[in-house]
Amino acid sequence: MRLTYFTTSVALRHLRYGVGQSLLTIGVVAISVLLIIYLQTIIGGLQTRLIRNTTGAIPHVTLESPERAPLAAWKLPAADPQVLYVGETVNLPKAQERIEDWRLWIEAFDAPEADYTAVSPVVAGTAFMFRGARRQTVRIQGVIPERHNGIVDIETNLESGRFLQLASGEVAMGRKLARDFGVKLRDKLRLVGPQGQTLSVTVGGIFETGFGPVDDGVLFMTLRDGQSLLGYGTAVSTIGLKLANIYEADTRAADLAPRVPFKVRSWIGDNPNLFRNLQSQSQTSNLILVMAVIAAGFGIASILIMSVTGKYREIGILKAMGATPQEIQTIFVIEGFLLAILGCIVGVPLSIGLLQALASISRVGPDGRATQIFEIAIDPALLVTASMIAIVTGAIAAYFPARRAGSVDPMQVIRGA
Amino acid sequence: MAPDPQAVIELAGVGKTYVSGAVQTPVLFDISFKIMPGEFIAIVGGSGSGKTTLLNLMGLLDRPTAGELYVQGRPVQDLEEVDRAVVRRDRIGFIFQFHYLLPEFTVIENALMPSRMRGARWERQHLPRMTSLLDTVGLADKLKSRPSQLSGGQQQRVAVVRALANEPALVLADEPTGNLDSKSGRIVFELMRKLARETGTAFVMVTHDDNFALETDRVIRIRDGRILADMPSARG
Repeated sequence: MRLTYFTTSVALRHLRYGVGQSLLTIGVVAISVLLIIYLQTIIGGLQTRLIRNTTGAIPHVTLESPERAPLAAWKLPAADPQVLYVGETVNLPKAQERIEDWRLWIEAFDAPEADYTAVSPVVAGTAFMFRGARRQTVRIQGVIPERHNGIVDIETNLESGRFLQLASGEVAMGRKLARDFGVKLRDKLRLVGPQGQTLSVTVGGIFETGFGPVDDGVLFMTLRDGQSLLGYGTAVSTIGLKLANIYEADTRAADLAPRVPFKVRSWIGDNPNLFRNLQSQSQTSNLILVMAVIAAGFGIASILIMSVTGKYREIGILKAMGATPQEIQTIFVIEGFLLAILGCIVGVPLSIGLLQALASISRVGPDGRATQIFEIAIDPALLVTASMIAIVTGAIAAYFPARRAGSVDPMQVIRGA
Repeated sequence: MAPDPQAVIELAGVGKTYVSGAVQTPVLFDISFKIMPGEFIAIVGGSGSGKTTLLNLMGLLDRPTAGELYVQGRPVQDLEEVDRAVVRRDRIGFIFQFHYLLPEFTVIENALMPSRMRGARWERQHLPRMTSLLDTVGLADKLKSRPSQLSGGQQQRVAVVRALANEPALVLADEPTGNLDSKSGRIVFELMRKLARETGTAFVMVTHDDNFALETDRVIRIRDGRILADMPSARG
């Protein structure tokens, strides 16, 4: 292909002269570009929101002690002086899932080469919460606040009080839980753990993260308080890890599993249906994209085929006058290219406008807060990719009519006159 | 025998046989002649005599199956397609029965199209000459017009001027007056004769019309693919 004054000027003149056809093709390409950008952004946004709702408040990878089988009676600690007789029953201590050496592991996971965005040791369990005559079961999470805030961002979602500076004897709870239970900041509560340990605490922070399970029934407290309330001593129950790329969770978990003495879970493994649905949604949108690209390709190809057919004689005469087959091919490839580029020039701003219009639509929820209906983040890389797809499609679509034009036999044209 | 370097085009024993499967159709046999600069020649013959095939061979649109073909002393029958296109572009002008002007371009742009193929510099260089040629043929006020705004005779005059864009050594005209009324045909014919004299370009015209043929310098008569006569025209 050689761009010369002759080939470019003839191509440009063809496009200008057949302005109706050109506009039609530009429209087809623009709509395809719009469809690519729109679908990717809307579906991508929906997926981002779904994933964030699912994973926003949980670790991407969780380490926990493997469930331990109860000890055999004869393996009971030797300190127990009791003698067991045949037929006698004995209550074995409940095997507790706990991680004793968590500090070592935290240190290892904190290393930059481990590549985790947050590492949080958690002691979790259930307890009863009392205030006056009221009683409710709550989930307890004893955490190191500055670490756990990397797993679920509570600090910026605080309505009142504090989280990062949560002191011993203080708890943080969701707004809904506080409202349901009728407590407010600095109210006192009594907590009773599973083994009867009690703890008096003050409400030190009230938050609303937007994640139901966190806002509805979790009490956050310091790690030490959690350990004493739940009877963990100095151990924790899980270590939560957050990743920069959430889609790597499964592979990272599989990678980690043989190297640690823990059970390793990933959010993908915990939500297989969600992940499958997301994948099938992606496949559907990809299918629509392929269709859009094919439609654009056919649009350009059909216009150029019509153009070649309509200019059969002119092409023959140009060849007779000394235009080489390559020059004739170049003319039509340029036309295809230009149509695709102009389609992008129209399509990209159109898509941005449409997406911005959609982004401005919001809905007022029952809590009086306005939320965007569409999750829209316009990705410049997507705009470039969509344009590149359209331009490459244009070039491919132009190639075949161009080759046909290049092979026109001038003698046949002259003879057929 | 060595080719004549003075000759614009020279055919030495040229033959053409079309092959379609097992069927061979010979069309031209042992054609030999040469054309000198400024000659105005008519090729005449009945339908199917092979005159258009001969013109296509001379215009490097087709390849001979026998003999030698020289353009300005250079053998051309074995050239690659691209090189043949360049020879056509730079040395040979074409006029067809239909004008085949490009509708997207103006009259002056159409006339300069062969120069445009060579590059913008050539187009600029030939612009004054082409403008004056179009003026000579009475189209001075039509330079910016589209071909569709011209009459058939005017369109064919543009086509004649276009054939001269790159100052070719040879212009091949296939029934250039065949599609025109007698008055327009006469104007186009006179124009070609005048240009041949003034520019030194050799004109070869295939025609059915004996009246026009007899007014050329030389008439080559063809019948059944062979040269029947090649002689100076009576009135030429």
